[in-house]
Amino acid sequence: MGIIIAVISGKGGVGKTTTTANIGLGIALNEKKCVVVDFDIGQRNLDMILGLENRVVYDMVQVMDEEVGLKQALIKSKMSPNLFFLAASQTKDKSVLNSKKILKLVTTLSEEFEFVILDAPAGIETGYEHTIEFADRAIVVVNPEVSSIRDADRAIGILDSKSQRVKDGGEVLKYLIINRIDAKMVQSGEMLSSEDILDILSIPLLGKIPEDRGIIDASNQGKPIILDKNSGAGRAYTRIAARLCGEQVAMEDIEMPESGLMHKIKEMFK
Amino acid sequence: MQTKQYSVKVFEAIITNEDEFISFFDKNYVFFTSHLISISGLVSEKITNYLDEKNLKYIVNVELPRSKGRQTAPTYIPENIPEEIEKIKAELPVEEIKLQEPMEEAAMARDNLRVIDTLVRSGQELKIKGDLLLLNRVNSGGSIDIDGNLIITQIVEGSIRCRGNFMMLKASAKANIVFHDVEVDNSYLKERLNRVELKNNEIKITPVLKETSWE
Repeated sequence: MGIIIAVISGKGGVGKTTTTANIGLGIALNEKKCVVVDFDIGQRNLDMILGLENRVVYDMVQVMDEEVGLKQALIKSKMSPNLFFLAASQTKDKSVLNSKKILKLVTTLSEEFEFVILDAPAGIETGYEHTIEFADRAIVVVNPEVSSIRDADRAIGILDSKSQRVKDGGEVLKYLIINRIDAKMVQSGEMLSSEDILDILSIPLLGKIPEDRGIIDASNQGKPIILDKNSGAGRAYTRIAARLCGEQVAMEDIEMPESGLMHKIKEMFK
Repeated sequence: MQTKQYSVKVFEAIITNEDEFISFFDKNYVFFTSHLISISGLVSEKITNYLDEKNLKYIVNVELPRSKGRQTAPTYIPENIPEEIEKIKAELPVEEIKLQEPMEEAAMARDNLRVIDTLVRSGQELKIKGDLLLLNRVNSGGSIDIDGNLIITQIVEGSIRCRGNFMMLKASAKANIVFHDVEVDNSYLKERLNRVELKNNEIKITPVLKETSWE
């Protein structure tokens, strides 16, 4: 049985979908079989970021309603043979989801794949509740700003009360990813430091991702930034994927601005 | 063998006039409910019946051992009752008399003291009838509504409604705190732990634990 991981944030626009795509690809590049599922029904985006936009024929709602088989709906990524994608329905709305169908879908997926990554919709409504319902773990994505942290805190609270694991007396392990960290702003005190955020949310840190201008272009082109070894965000996602695969990777301190001779030389050529 | 050692408050009186003794006790009955009454002098049946009826504990003509340095207790002089009351009041720790009823309430509430060490997240609401000791933080958007006393050892960023005798909080600049329907100005909560209580209808904030600096 593979593990089911929900990627949540509460607030929208903090980088949930980007994180899902990059982590999914990162795990696949570590030779583990991985499927990413877009749970944002009616507002799917993950297909674009993975560059699979034009290959979506069937979606998860059709699979759940047994209109098509799972094999037909799963899309294999060109970037890694281990990465598969299941699209959300763009035409239906969230009301089509129900617990029984979701349980069946995620159980089938977890029998086939080592990692099942669910991209939760923003907000904390039914769509979100359905995403976390059968998750074994959750990855919480936040930006270093108060509104994102409060929303994530709320999302964690709901996770801790509504997921099936908790209802069965267990616990859903939660990991934190802090996205879009600007080293200079943290140093000048304008941005919350990761220590502050960890204090507030009190869940273990999975990784820190620096602000990276390359992400927008990467999303537009449908090539997740993890493929770009020169980008800070890409390397951060690589480390996170390795951690998820069980490797011990030290936390890199991305909150200290780069300094030293090499950096100055690099700056000169920019 | 099981033994126990504890102190009792004793009120000593030498009776010279029965009626005056009884009228004095009638007026000041509440003070003596938690005292042991030691009487000597003209102790008639009327007096013992009266004390039994009031359910007061008393001893007659017993020489009690006294701790060192303590003088013999003032004897009861019926001629100047008001002064005597004042004197007794002055001698007795004032707060103890005042707090007698709230203390009982507090003791009752203590029976349902809750200790929680998980954090209160945004959107979570704790509604508690008794007392609460919270060993974690209250995040922005989280709230606590409590009828008893409240102690929170970590920072509060959410809202607190407390109707107990007191609450103890860490300096929390972002908190929204209402104590007995009065909003507490949290700029007064400065130290590691601050006690907030209601005294004479005014909110009193006193630091309990200072912030330690390791420099």
